[in-house]
Amino acid sequence: MPKIKINGNEVEVPQGSTIIQAFKATGVEICHYCWHPGLSVAGVCRLCMVQIEGMPKLQIACNTEVKEGMVINNTSDVVKETVRWGLDFHLINHPLDCPICDQAGECGLQDQYMKFGQYDPEMAENKVKKHKVVDLGPTVVLDSERCILCSRCVRFTDEVSKTNELGIFNRGDRCEIGTVAGKPLANNYSLNTVDICPVGALTSKDFRFRQRVWYLKEADSICPGCSTGCNVKVNYNEEGLWRIRPRENKEVNGHWMCDVGRDSYKFVNLKNRLVAGKVGQRGSWQEVTATDAARSAGLKLRETVAQHGPDSVALVVTGQYTNEEYHRLFTFFTVNLESNNIFHWMNNPETTKDFDGLLFRGDRNPNTKGVVDALGSFALKAKWEDLQSQLSSRKIKVVVVAGPENQAVFPDMTEKITFFAQAESMIWLTAGQSEALNQTGAETWQIPLKTYIEKSGSFTNVQGKVQTFKVGTTIVAQAFTLSEVVELFSGQELNWNLRPHSLGGVKTNYSIANRGAL
Amino acid sequence: MFKLSKESEDFVKKELSRYEAKYSAIIPSLFRVQKDHGWVPPEAVSVLAKLMEIPEAHINEVLYFYTMFNKRPVGKIHAQVCCNISCAMNGGRELADALCKSFNVQDGVMSADGKITVSRVECLGSCDTAPMMQVNDRYIENLTPELAVRKLKEMGA
Ligand code: SF4
Ligand code: SF4
Ligand code: FES
Ligand code: FES
Repeated sequence: MPKIKINGNEVEVPQGSTIIQAFKATGVEICHYCWHPGLSVAGVCRLCMVQIEGMPKLQIACNTEVKEGMVINNTSDVVKETVRWGLDFHLINHPLDCPICDQAGECGLQDQYMKFGQYDPEMAENKVKKHKVVDLGPTVVLDSERCILCSRCVRFTDEVSKTNELGIFNRGDRCEIGTVAGKPLANNYSLNTVDICPVGALTSKDFRFRQRVWYLKEADSICPGCSTGCNVKVNYNEEGLWRIRPRENKEVNGHWMCDVGRDSYKFVNLKNRLVAGKVGQRGSWQEVTATDAARSAGLKLRETVAQHGPDSVALVVTGQYTNEEYHRLFTFFTVNLESNNIFHWMNNPETTKDFDGLLFRGDRNPNTKGVVDALGSFALKAKWEDLQSQLSSRKIKVVVVAGPENQAVFPDMTEKITFFAQAESMIWLTAGQSEALNQTGAETWQIPLKTYIEKSGSFTNVQGKVQTFKVGTTIVAQAFTLSEVVELFSGQELNWNLRPHSLGGVKTNYSIANRGAL
Repeated sequence: MFKLSKESEDFVKKELSRYEAKYSAIIPSLFRVQKDHGWVPPEAVSVLAKLMEIPEAHINEVLYFYTMFNKRPVGKIHAQVCCNISCAMNGGRELADALCKSFNVQDGVMSADGKITVSRVECLGSCDTAPMMQVNDRYIENLTPELAVRKLKEMGA
């Protein structure tokens, strides 16, 4: 491991690192645009200038390897002056329209200017006019004037998504990013280009003009979109969730996530949620508090077992809950109710093994591995066919279903609800509202559950990696985790003083909602 | 439908085998298309992309970088007026404007009768004789607007 000096401090970095990697590893700030840890080195922005003792000229840190004994700095006057001019050049043709730019607040140009620029601009030339609001495809909008031609997005489509849609066309100050002959930028990873674009050139159709980023809070989480379990960060405010972006994890998702996963904030928001308990059948519901619903459902469950024995109840689970919840729920069923009637509802057995080679998998549940492992550790072997026969023979009187929170990935929702409703009573645990429940004749309890962002726990991804996550925010205050439901089922009480408040739900601001449309 | 002739296809294949990086074969291949067709139609890019196994976007990047490639059909006489630094400083841009005016055409757009195209281009490597233009394959140097118009007329524009 070569020993080098960065700004006077001695550090050791792995053999073969570039200078910029050494700066990053030791936490020393360095101006840069085009370098990205997940992409090849382009060396085009010329902002990562450093001075190396013994070299007559400044070098770019992103494309220079460290050598034993290098003495490097980026704090001397000549480096500072060079970077300042570099920034000034980047802004020659930049429209400086930050007030109407969606990137403002998380923009590389703004940040780098405040850290390394702070000059009085000396450029007085007329700006070159380019295309604004270019519809690049179903997810991304381009503003060519803001683009600083760092080529990150082009390298992304070449190296990561391998779809090669983007290129840099024309020459000199007329260079523009674009696709060939108006073909759309359409792949399941396209929104990563928005994340890595250091400026407001590429923006997300889904998010642009919805919120100013400085009003949003951020929480770490795990994407529940499929069994890969990409590490993500979620942005939210008092109205709900607004977007999901990837968080680096070398072992799972690198720097990226897929576009499908980015939609998994939508089902969490208030308008799609079950906000209180409901008891009834055939669409005539009596609204009760979630606690009352859970209490009376628990009573029904215990009475049924007392009257007809443990085989008269059944539990159906989906792969969308945490390991901790499965454990608690299975313990309650097998120990307290002494029933081994526990079944795993697979939403898409045909596609479960699919994999696109990058991240996205056909198993659209975050914790299939977790539920399978839990069933195994409780030595539960019940087969789906058993459920079928016992439901049609009316042996099962009450069926408890921990349904999906991400209902969109369960194409068989309606069919399965009708199927479960063959039982006399159904206890339906879910985060969302399900239309199909209005059609069935079984006596039904609907009990609202929390979604992944509202609880702590862990998912086991397809590689067998157990990934823990914490509560980010609370959308529905009444909602429970499965573990809390079990407390109430077994006659215990929850400490209501500890329960958080609900969020307000999304308010439509018409002036910005309309501006967001292309 | 654009179709590459058998000879041109062989040419492209030979170019591909000549270089270590197949990207190096883009320029000669595009020139070949231009020689055959007078310009490089967008469908040609798709055909080359398939043949060379290079993404269309990257072929287009090269095509759009060089002013020497015609992205539109050009007239029998193609006057490429250099407007890069040396020429611009010696009146290249005014020269281009003057030519457009006297032949009643727009920059880069072929005249209705298909006789002439005047386009502004980047440095043609003849800076010492600025301002200059390239007419088809010929350099005409040390120009004034009057001289340029006269030369072009002599050539049949
Ligand atoms: S659009 Fe963004 S990421 Fe792409 S080259 Fe321009 S500034 Fe870089
Ligand atoms: S690949 Fe799966 S886990 Fe990753 S972002 Fe997409 S849906 Fe979410
Ligand atoms: S980050 Fe090194 S040149 Fe852009
Ligand atoms: S600038 Fe005109 S030929 Fe070089």
